[in-house]
Amino acid sequence: MAVVILIDDDVDLIEANRAVLAARGFIVRTALNAVEARQCLAAGVPDLVVLDVMMETPTVGFDLAREIHKAAPKLPILMLTGLREAMDVPFQFGPDETWLPVTQFLEKPFSSSALAEKVANILKGGK
Amino acid sequence: MESLRVLVVDDEVGMRLGVERALRDFAVRVADVNGDVSFQVVHAGSGEEALELVASQRPEILLLDHKLPGLSGLDVLDRLTDRQIERGGDLLTVMITAYATLETAVAATKRGAYDFLAKPFTPEELRGVIRKAARHVVLQRQARRLAEEKRQVRFQFISVVAHELKAPLAAIEGFLRIISEHSAGDDPAVYNHMLERSLVRLEGMRKLIEDLLDLTRIESGRKKREPTDLDLATVARDMAEGFAPRVAESQLQMRIHAIGPLMMKADRGEIEIILNNLLSNAVKYNRPGGSVDVRLERADHGVCITVSDTGIGMTGEEEARLFGEFVRIKNEKTRGIAGSGLGLAIVKKLATLYDGNVAVRSNPGRGSTFTVTLRTADGPGTSSRTPA
Repeated sequence: MAVVILIDDDVDLIEANRAVLAARGFIVRTALNAVEARQCLAAGVPDLVVLDVMMETPTVGFDLAREIHKAAPKLPILMLTGLREAMDVPFQFGPDETWLPVTQFLEKPFSSSALAEKVANILKGGK
Repeated sequence: MESLRVLVVDDEVGMRLGVERALRDFAVRVADVNGDVSFQVVHAGSGEEALELVASQRPEILLLDHKLPGLSGLDVLDRLTDRQIERGGDLLTVMITAYATLETAVAATKRGAYDFLAKPFTPEELRGVIRKAARHVVLQRQARRLAEEKRQVRFQFISVVAHELKAPLAAIEGFLRIISEHSAGDDPAVYNHMLERSLVRLEGMRKLIEDLLDLTRIESGRKKREPTDLDLATVARDMAEGFAPRVAESQLQMRIHAIGPLMMKADRGEIEIILNNLLSNAVKYNRPGGSVDVRLERADHGVCITVSDTGIGMTGEEEARLFGEFVRIKNEKTRGIAGSGLGLAIVKKLATLYDGNVAVRSNPGRGSTFTVTLRTADGPGTSSRTPA
């Protein structure tokens, strides 16, 4: 069974996503900050990481993405962002191997089911 | 030192040089911005040249002769009107005129001239007019800067509020969607937990909105304050009674320590907000089996309310940040505890209204003690004149 790590600083958003992913058969581990995320990853490399961009500071998510990618270059990262909405950026960010090595973005707000679909697709090798 | 650019428009070169000489070592003191303003003179011999220089040199003050060879002074003013609006009207025009007629004065004023200078004039007369114009320019700028700062602060505040409301909204929406889609499996406990958490987050949103209203009411000064002779000990006991269910639920003990009544002229609503915030923090950040001790006593020129808990406490660095708006100490121990981050900012603002203050002493892992001093309901800086 595929293992997914959820990294987000809101206990309830984590719980919502955890419950739906678990119901679809994923093994879910959770982390509420960068420190917990590192411990979680050190305990074993998962099949996918779901990472919220905004945590304690606005850049923690970005830094963590680079860190994870460096440690496990093949590990897919799905990044959750509210950037377009928060900053009124009129375009969608694309993943960038050098600057921000994530596999895909998911714009907030989204439903936990949509997240689960996305996770399943990435793990199947699709987009 | 701030420097203002003066564009002098006159077809007589002697006149322009005279102006330059008169303003060379001249400085104007503007008390409100606490600084001197000096001048830099730019020349134009015609209206056409003046228009070009206004665009390229962006002067703040225009000394404009009415009688010019091509475009007249009034023509120049006419053409500047539109640009003035674009620039936010920060170009002040002083008309120079040899034949000061009422008609010219009216026409120039209609086109936005700020002042007049009749030819011939002495260097002192010129400086007088420039002094007045310079003060106007600097103060206008200052006012614009303050207005802009105020807009920024307001914008930031609203952004933070929006963010603080969006987070619980996203959580509640997420949970409700899962419940309605039944997408989290068949265990009813999972759904019950989601409902409970949704209620907790809604409660948090409501508290945030209430706190925001309290804060704006206090800050705007719109809320009518009604100081009456109040026994703070009774108010504290009444409040503690309201907290009883939560105190029991968290297996705490709440004790009120007051010897007899503690009278003070105060607004009951304000005292309740102060106590409510301190007591609810002492309960929220406590540990099962712990206690909350509320002491009310007379202090020099007023009263002192002390609320001690046996909770998680905080570090010195956390203490220092505590009374700001939207400050919440985030760590493993505070996770899952809801709060608006406004409560202590409100307590501090209210204490100020009583010429008092609020302080905290804390021991990480052992507990915190908040001390509020209230002197008089008459407002900041008044208690020395009206001792209690």
